[in-house]
This record gives sequence, C-alpha cells and structure tokens, in this order.
Amino acid sequence: MVEVTNTKNTEIIGFACSFCTFKASEMAGSLRMKYPDGVKLIQVPCSSRVDPAFVIKAIFEGADGVFVAGCHPGDCHFIKGNYFTRRKMAALKEMFDVFSIKDKLRLFWVSAAEARRFVEKVTGMHNEIKEKKNAE
Amino acid sequence: MKTGIFICHCGHNIKHTIDVKKLSQYFKKYPGVTVAEDYPFVCSEPGQDMIRDSIEKQGLDRVLIASCTPSLHGELFKDLLKKSDLNPFLLRRVSIREHCSWVGDDLDINTEKARRLILAGLYSAAHYVPLEEKVVEVTKSALIVGGGVSGLSAAAFLSKMGMQVYLVEKEAELGGHVRALKDIWPARRDGKEIIDEMVEELTGKSNVEIFTSTTISAFEGFFGNYEVTLNTPKGEKKLTAGGVIVAAGFSPFDPRIKPELAYGKDKRIITTLDFERDSDSLSLPENPRIAILHCVGSRDEQIGKPYCSRVCCINALRVGDSIKEKYKDSYVESFYMDVRAHPRGGEEFFEDTQEKGVLFTRSNIAEIVPGSKGVLVRGEDTLFNEFFEREFDLVVLSIGMSPPVDNKLIATLFKITLDKDKFFLEAHIKLRPFDTAVKGIFIAGSCSGPKDIEESINHGRASAVKLYGFLNLGYAFVDPFISIVDPKRCSGCRMCEQACVAKAIKYDETKRIVHVEEAACMGCGLCNSTCPSSAVTLKGYADMIIDDEISALTEAI
Repeated sequence: MVEVTNTKNTEIIGFACSFCTFKASEMAGSLRMKYPDGVKLIQVPCSSRVDPAFVIKAIFEGADGVFVAGCHPGDCHFIKGNYFTRRKMAALKEMFDVFSIKDKLRLFWVSAAEARRFVEKVTGMHNEIKEKKNAE
Repeated sequence: MKTGIFICHCGHNIKHTIDVKKLSQYFKKYPGVTVAEDYPFVCSEPGQDMIRDSIEKQGLDRVLIASCTPSLHGELFKDLLKKSDLNPFLLRRVSIREHCSWVGDDLDINTEKARRLILAGLYSAAHYVPLEEKVVEVTKSALIVGGGVSGLSAAAFLSKMGMQVYLVEKEAELGGHVRALKDIWPARRDGKEIIDEMVEELTGKSNVEIFTSTTISAFEGFFGNYEVTLNTPKGEKKLTAGGVIVAAGFSPFDPRIKPELAYGKDKRIITTLDFERDSDSLSLPENPRIAILHCVGSRDEQIGKPYCSRVCCINALRVGDSIKEKYKDSYVESFYMDVRAHPRGGEEFFEDTQEKGVLFTRSNIAEIVPGSKGVLVRGEDTLFNEFFEREFDLVVLSIGMSPPVDNKLIATLFKITLDKDKFFLEAHIKLRPFDTAVKGIFIAGSCSGPKDIEESINHGRASAVKLYGFLNLGYAFVDPFISIVDPKRCSGCRMCEQACVAKAIKYDETKRIVHVEEAACMGCGLCNSTCPSSAVTLKGYADMIIDDEISALTEAI
C-alpha cells in the first residue's frame, strides 16, 4: 500500500485582472518579493470575466483555495466590472457557506502599484489555509 | 497539433532558480509538442532566429514562450510570428521569471511550479484560434491636460509636426507654477518670460486650440478616437482626440498639515514659494537672522510622503544665496537632513552658498514658536546630539511637491492608475516611462513624480514624440479580444444586455437573440460569465481556455 501523507502542497489558484492585480504581481516579481509557490495565477481581462463555475471547478479539482482579485472599486478599466464581480462572489460565498467551504474563496482588490499588498494578501491567504489543512 | 516550446534562461535570472534543462527534456516527450528548447536569451537576435527556423522547418502551429512577463517583449514576439506567416494570436507567453523564478529560492520547488505554469499555457494554447486584428483610422489630434511647462512643450512639439492640439488648462492663465517664480536657477530668468516664450510658439497657429478655465467633464471612446467633453466658460464643447498627454503638474505641499511648524499663524513663517513670489516686500531688519528648513513635506513617513521632492534643496539653497546677496551681514542657518542638490551644477552651488556664509546644521526640527521678538526654532542637532533653541527674524520652509489635488478625479476620468504616493503611475518605470497602462494616454511632468523644470520640459517633449509616433501612422490595430454570440445557443434572455457596461450588446426583436456591436465592445468578458446558456464567448478567453488552464494548474487532467 502506498502510504498516504499529508505533505501535499497547499495550492491556491488566483484569477487576476490584467489591468491591476496581474500588473501588481509582475511588479512583486520584479521587486524580488517572495510569496509561497502554491500561489498560481490565471490572467483574465477583468475580474468580471470570472465565471463562478471557474471557482467551483478549481475547488472540485483540488485547489485548496481560490481568490479573485481586481482593481479597487471605482478604478475599474471597464467602468464597473468589479462591482459585478463583488455581487457574484458574495452570492457564491453564501452558497459555499452551505457546504462549509466559505473560507476557500477570497475576493480582494489590489491596484497596479500595490505589489506589497498583493504579496501580503496572497501570503496571508496561503498561510491561513495551510494551517487549517494541517490541523485537519 | 504542433507546438513549439521555447524556455528562456534570461541569462542567470531564470536559470539560477529553475532547472530549464530538465523542463525542456520533460516537454520534449510531451504529446503534441514538436519542439522544446531552452536558450540563454530567447529575445536576442539568434534566439528569434531559432524560433523562426523552427516555425518554418517544423511547421509549428502554436508557439509557447516561457520567459519574462507577457507585457515585456509582447509586441516583439508577436511581430516575429507575423514575419513567419503565423497568426500572432497563436502565441502564448508564460511568465516564469516574474511569477516563478523571482518569487522563490528553491530550485526543485520552482522547477515544479514552472512546469505547471508551462503546462497550463500548453493546454490553453491548444484552444487558441487565429484572430484578425482590426485596423481602425485614428484622428491626428492630441488633447493635452495641463498648461504648465511640460504641457506647453508637448503642445509646441505636436503643433510643429502639424498635429491638431487641444490644450486644456483649469486656471485662467497658462504657465502653472513656473509663472509665479521670479528667478529660476540656473538660468537666472523670470519664470513669466520663459512661459511667455513658450506660449508665443503656440499663438496664431491654426492647429492649436487653447482652452483656459476649462475642465474635462467626460471622456469616452478608445485609442485613436477618444470623445472628450469640455466644460468651458462659454459652455460645453465636444471634440475628438487621438491621444492624450496628462500633464497635470503638482500641488505645493501645504505645511499646515504639520501644525508644529506654525505656518499660517505668523507672517514671519513663509514657504520657499512665498519667498520666490514676493521676496521684496519682506520687512526685515538691517542684519536679519534667517532660518531655512529643508525637507518640509518630503522624506517624511509620518505624513505619508516618504519620497524626495528633488527641487526643494536647490530652492532652499537659492533662498540662502539671495539673502546673502542682499544682506551681507545676515545670519542664515539651514537646517537639513541631507542635502541632495539635484540638477547638474547643484553640488557646486551648494559649496558656493557655504562659502558665502550660509551655515548648515544637520538637525531634526521639533517645533517653531512665533514670539514677540522673533520666531523660536527648537530642535535637535543630530551630529552633536544636542538640543537647541534659536531665535530668528524669518523662517523659510522649503516645501516639497505633492500630487495634484485633482489626481483622483483625473485618474478615474482617464482610467489610469496612481502609485502609492498618489502620483500617476507609468506603465513600466524603465521600459515605458511615459506611457500609462491605457493605450494612447501618456503622462508628462511632475504629475508622475517630483521633477524640476528642465526634467518636466524633457518629459513633456518625450511624451509628445511618443504620441506623435503612435498617431502619425494614421491607423491602429485594435485587439481582437471581443465577444461573439453563438446564435444557436442564445435563448434571448437578455441578461448580457443588462450587464454590458459598454452597451455593445443589442437585442434583435425579430430573431429574438442578441448580437455584439464589434466597435463598442471593450472585451471585459462580463457577458461571457453572465450568459446562462454559454452562448457568448470572449475571444482569447473562452470558457474552455480558462477551464483547461485551471485543470493544468491543479493537475487534474
């Protein structure tokens, strides 16, 4: 029998808006800021492109956490795309709450200049989820 | 499917923390992969030749380049594919430098992460389809926001090159802060003279329209054809501009934010700007005692201004110098943290003022107390670790630069971003210092960070040259990432129509389905994620592309 170990890496899938959060992640990289390797990004034109189905799919396929990140409210390149995202993710969170997986989904705003904020957010999320996973 | 994977070493940048050899060996055996190579610099001439050769000899139909972030060299590789007669939208860039090798230190972990990222690229690229870039005509006209030195120099260049220029200034007069300056170092000229000369270049030109006391009330459209609505004293005016140069300038730091400096409570406490404007009417005694404070509103973490404003040291030195010229026996003491005499010749000027008798004391100033006889300056001498109290007849605060007051408004209007100090952010600090993230909108002058007059003029001209290069072609390519509707799947529920911010989705009453107006679509993909029947697809970001990317990243394929 293969021994089942709990050493699997904590995997976080992030949907990053290409105008703000993806830019911030590029900047974080070029400033050589460190964040956990489990955090992997998917570039989307706007956070509103994220279909709730993507989030569900990612969690079904084994992601330990999913985040959707975009521009700060009012700064959206597509005027109010992120307001739609906010509503959609709030609804999705309520649904996740029923299944007690509410903590797996995060929504946050990071502008193109906020490389440090990006690193803080993703590292915080990764560590919280990892702790929870290890406690189980 | 014939995919070519090219993994860049980026010198040591990627190779140092990712085992590129292992990756290329791994992907060589992967189904659907025809070529998998690693190369020191894929962006170099020989690197590009290698890709072209592979495309031609192996007949590749997908190219995946794993290197730096997609926004760097994106156009370069797109052109490369075009030259090899391959549709440029069959290119996939995977960022293994900014998103992998630079964020972690462990070789094995990074190699595994890079493998996953490349895999995600490989799977999503399999769904790519050739797309056509649409060519649109652009209006050869420029909107310049701000009539300071950088805005004026940009306008002068563009008008000389025969481009229609609309210059918008919110104040009644052109010239910004420079107009108020009496004696500009090192030219020793009146600011008003310089402005008048610049304005003269623009007056009488048929292709220049200047709007003073004007604000912008609305801004719509896309690169090449921006629709601008101006709020002029004579009423509303609409115009079309191909591109925009934002030269909104700066606001002088208001020392009232620091109440311990007692600015505004006593007329013996003034700023360098007050001094420049009106140094003759100061009622000073015969041998005045004058204190000059450096770094007021700069390099101050407590008030959220950690940056150096660059111009205030030289302003402070100018004040000391001009007082010494006027009053030979005056006592002038400069309280500084560091002297950063920034432009060329600044250091020599610093030495000159020292020789003329200006005393420099490295110190932290605690407070300024106006009294009946004089103004008391209390602080700590940071070289001797001593506290001191001295009385002066005049205190001059060398104030720094703050972002323009309406920066938030302008940023929202043009959808450009602000950096952490609330100045406008450039697209890339080294490679694209004049561009913003929005195509056709440039920034110039001190609205993108503190600059002196010379730099502001340079910045304005450089932005003008860049914009001219963009608009002079007369045409532009529009990204083909727009939505399309599958008429067979559309049920006509009109949910996407309500969601579309750009009003690009129109309902056809007779067919009872929707369609997308290509010219209006901004390509956000909101309709795609809203549609309950999956009838709307955003080109380049189709559902299956992102789905497969998720699967590859979670390794659930």
